Amino acid sequence: MRSIYRYLNPIVHLGESNYSFVFPLIANIVLCVSSEFYAYIIARNPLIIGEYIIFINVAFIIYFSFRDGLRGGYISTLFAICYYFYIIATRHYHGFELSMAVDTTIILGVLYAILASIIGWLKQRIDWLIESSAIEKERLQTIIDQLPVGVIVTDGHGILTQTNKQLNKILGIRMPIGFAIGLDTIPQIKINGSLPIPHQSPLSQALKKGTSIIGREIYYQQVNGNEGKYLQVNSAPIHNKKRRVIAAASIITDITGQKDLERQKDDFLSMASHELKTPLTSLKMFLDLQEKELSSSKSKKAQYFNQRIKDQIHRLSELTNDLLDISRIQTGKLRFKKESFQLSQIVSDTLEGLSGMTRQHELVLRNNFSGQVFADRYRIYQVLVNLISNAIKYSPKGRKIIITLSSQNRHALISVKDYGIGIEKEQQKKIFERLYQVTDRNEKTFPGLGLGLFIAKEIVERHSGKIWVTSEKGKGSTFSFSLPIPHKKG
Amino acid sequence: MKKKVLVIDDDYDILEPLSILLEIDNYEVETTPKGEETIHKVNDFKPDVILLDMLLSGSDGRQIARALKSNVKTKDIAIIMMSAHPSASEDAKLCGADDFIAKPFESEDLLTLVKSYISQ
Repeated sequence: MRSIYRYLNPIVHLGESNYSFVFPLIANIVLCVSSEFYAYIIARNPLIIGEYIIFINVAFIIYFSFRDGLRGGYISTLFAICYYFYIIATRHYHGFELSMAVDTTIILGVLYAILASIIGWLKQRIDWLIESSAIEKERLQTIIDQLPVGVIVTDGHGILTQTNKQLNKILGIRMPIGFAIGLDTIPQIKINGSLPIPHQSPLSQALKKGTSIIGREIYYQQVNGNEGKYLQVNSAPIHNKKRRVIAAASIITDITGQKDLERQKDDFLSMASHELKTPLTSLKMFLDLQEKELSSSKSKKAQYFNQRIKDQIHRLSELTNDLLDISRIQTGKLRFKKESFQLSQIVSDTLEGLSGMTRQHELVLRNNFSGQVFADRYRIYQVLVNLISNAIKYSPKGRKIIITLSSQNRHALISVKDYGIGIEKEQQKKIFERLYQVTDRNEKTFPGLGLGLFIAKEIVERHSGKIWVTSEKGKGSTFSFSLPIPHKKG
Repeated sequence: MKKKVLVIDDDYDILEPLSILLEIDNYEVETTPKGEETIHKVNDFKPDVILLDMLLSGSDGRQIARALKSNVKTKDIAIIMMSAHPSASEDAKLCGADDFIAKPFESEDLLTLVKSYISQ
């Protein structure tokens, strides 16, 4: 039935490039023979044929141009011209009549050909558009089927127009295309532990409000399924040129594995922190006990060794702390206990604590700022210790290390200047990166994990400050950081 | 009379040096690695200060602190919690402990802290 309908209605053929040759040929022969039959046998007037044939030919040319593109149109045109010449030949025209008939035939032929071209071109153009949009859709479907995330696309009324394989896999159910269905209208699922509330899904909200929703995390369960999944949903509206919402798309990522990993990492962090710090605590106390024992003995060597062990344990605890800080930074768990305090006080305390670290260097404080800052006291101390111990470490031949305190543009500035090996321009950009360490000209490396400046940068930036370095290779470096000065109340 | 300190930590390597340090500083020290023995020990020993590890194997130091602080007989005994866990200091405050010291600590710092609760 459909195939007959396809023959009757040429528009049905749009988008199906099946340019037949035989059908227009046979149809034209049948047309001409039946016209002759009508004119001769039924009407008994051969002249009647002319008007009929023009009208019917035009219809056929349009029909076949639409049906079969240019080819169908040209075959019909050609047939029409041949037929007119057949009529001229069989009707015995003479003189003026003959030349009129030939001229008319040629003019009609050209007009038919132009008509066939225009309609045929249109048909091919439409065919191409339809086909390319079908290919585009197919290509898009192939691409989104390969994605590791679930995809939902709806039209402006929330009717599902496209999904991908991964979506069905993530949800464990099939979302039927062509229905108004989304995560908030499926009855057999639970979102965050309860049945979904209509119009609350990110997709519905993107459709309604016309704004994107990024990174919404939900806990998804099937009502009769056991284990749930953590999903991250991003939704965005699709606008037309007049800024009206005509569709919306949702990307659904299964983050269950990621969540598990995060939890494992947290657990590991707590465990490692506990397991590393407990023996250190014990060691420290035993050393203190030993020190008490040794203080009564005369062995200077034993006392010296004890002190060295203490230094090394101190270094070990610093490294442990650095490692734990890195993990905390990465899991977003580095927290601050901010309070107001006098910056110069903590700087001079730090210098006093560190002066025992080196005999060769002289730590000079130039204090031009006596105000308060609002910060985590211990963390700022940590940054200072890091910068000053770096200055000591990287200036093996230097003598002075100058620590300057000043203020500028409502920021307190702290800088640590050394006269050490300095840092090349290339390296200056990288030193605040994780695990990066400066090497000197002979590629000599210095002890440490390369974590200190990364942690310092994180601490300073989380205090809304900045940290930077100016340096010249071979002449020394100045590390500076700024902290905002709180507004005075009243 | 010597002041009394009760130390609860599941790690013997902490208990041993800690009790020696405290004894040198002239305290009477009682230790236990088992959290569930705490109440019993507190009643017998009547300590002035309790040094309590937060994460004990078997029982939770936080629960012990809560139990001690909600009991009329024991609520006045100072509890100093110890932990190596990074965010433990807030937890310690929440469960009623009087103070907190993070592991690894300096022996001096711990002794000073204990002393501050004795003289009160």
